[in-house]
Amino acid sequence: MMVVMTRAQRTLYSVLGLIGFLLFWELSLRSGLLPGSLVPLPSSIPGVLWLELLDGIWFDVVRSSLSHYSVGVLLGSTLGIAVGISAALLPRFNAAHAWLARLLRPIPPLAWIPFAIIWFGINPSAAAFIISIGVFWINYFASYSAVHSIDPGYDEVARAFGQQRFLARLTKVSLPAAAPGILSGLRAGLGQGWMTVVAAELFGIPGIGQRMMEASSLLATDIVVVYMLTIAALYATFDFLFMVVQRRLLRWQS
Amino acid sequence: MTDTSMTMHPVLSARNVSLGFDGTTILAGVDLTLHPQEFVAVVGASGVGKSTLLRALAGLLAPQSGRVEIPAAITPDTRAWSMVFQAPRLFPWRRVRGNVELGLEGLSLSKAERRRRALEPLALVGLDEFAERWPHTLSGGQQQRVGIARALAVQPRVLFMDEPFSALDAITRRRLQQELVELRRRTEAAIVFITHDIEEAVLLADRVMVLGNGEMDQPARVVETLEVDMPLDDRRDHPEFAPLVQRVETIIGNH
Repeated sequence: MMVVMTRAQRTLYSVLGLIGFLLFWELSLRSGLLPGSLVPLPSSIPGVLWLELLDGIWFDVVRSSLSHYSVGVLLGSTLGIAVGISAALLPRFNAAHAWLARLLRPIPPLAWIPFAIIWFGINPSAAAFIISIGVFWINYFASYSAVHSIDPGYDEVARAFGQQRFLARLTKVSLPAAAPGILSGLRAGLGQGWMTVVAAELFGIPGIGQRMMEASSLLATDIVVVYMLTIAALYATFDFLFMVVQRRLLRWQS
Repeated sequence: MTDTSMTMHPVLSARNVSLGFDGTTILAGVDLTLHPQEFVAVVGASGVGKSTLLRALAGLLAPQSGRVEIPAAITPDTRAWSMVFQAPRLFPWRRVRGNVELGLEGLSLSKAERRRRALEPLALVGLDEFAERWPHTLSGGQQQRVGIARALAVQPRVLFMDEPFSALDAITRRRLQQELVELRRRTEAAIVFITHDIEEAVLLADRVMVLGNGEMDQPARVVETLEVDMPLDDRRDHPEFAPLVQRVETIIGNH
């Protein structure tokens, strides 16, 4: 039988699950079940975070990562949405780029690292470039399919009411009708951006990824965990803020 | 047809219009002339090409041959024609008023005028209080009323209606038919009304144009056009109503 839970019950179980996991982790280390060199004590993390904050390192690396992330996400999203919408609306453009897209799409963003270094050097632009690639494809496909699947009846309405010009149809039909799909793509891209940001910094560009590499080479696993949690918190914050905006923009949905 | 409309220039004239796809003609030789305030209903079996004809008359589809002329709008703040669709097809991302304003956008109207021009037809269909609502909060009948308001807002010379009540329940449908009878008195527009409901056609129209299939492998054509010479009020109770409905049914049955 399906167990039906209230919202409060679900929250309670979630909290208990998390606390249980942390307790298990802590006790496994303290009892010697797990060697302390592999993972840090969860109870040591707040103190390490405090030290990172006091030294100003946390702010520096987060600021640095945020700047690559913002540029990469902004660039990837803008281009992805623009190319995706154009492909869905312009049959000639769609046909002309179809094979190129099929060729480039399976290449993972990290495979671009060698070119990123050659083209940009080891600097923030290279990280932003790599982040933008993953974000681009997510937004490209989301926008393309969102515009492609718009009910053609809306276009007929626009034409019947004198809105037959390309720009009018774009702003009055295509963009608003595809908004739910485009926004889902943007949201997925925000997540994908965080996944790539660390990897993009591993080769020496200052940021969270580089700090994690430094720490792991000194076996400072507690610092590594601090930044893993930092990424999770940043992602959750961005996702939450975006969801608020998304809900506001799509308030017309039933 | 009133005497005044006889002397006026037609607001729609179609000559020998043929329609089809990929070299196949589905409907041929349609002639239609409409004067202001005239109401013609087009009936015929499913698949005979009624909706396709409507789109060709409106210019949304190019005819295979023939010519359709709708003179330009009289003033720059109106449009030559507009359309009410079978499904309301409101833009869900616009509020009711925004939907009604769609056809007014791009006309020479200030924002305030546009707003006023949208509220007028909404009041006419009894939905002015719903102007700021989202379409999904409205019933099917209310949404179709908004669709009618949207079409009336541009003060068209020709109003095309594509089975506008067919998706509604019987009670709402009856009510909207009655509203359309009332509306006819308040608009200058000529109306082309597609329906598969013969009673509805006879109830509302001045003329009923019957489309029917021709001989084997021949495209459909206008098999007969009947004048409805009854006063608009309480037509259902008029002694000629039932016989005329019966006659149209027979014509359709024979084709």
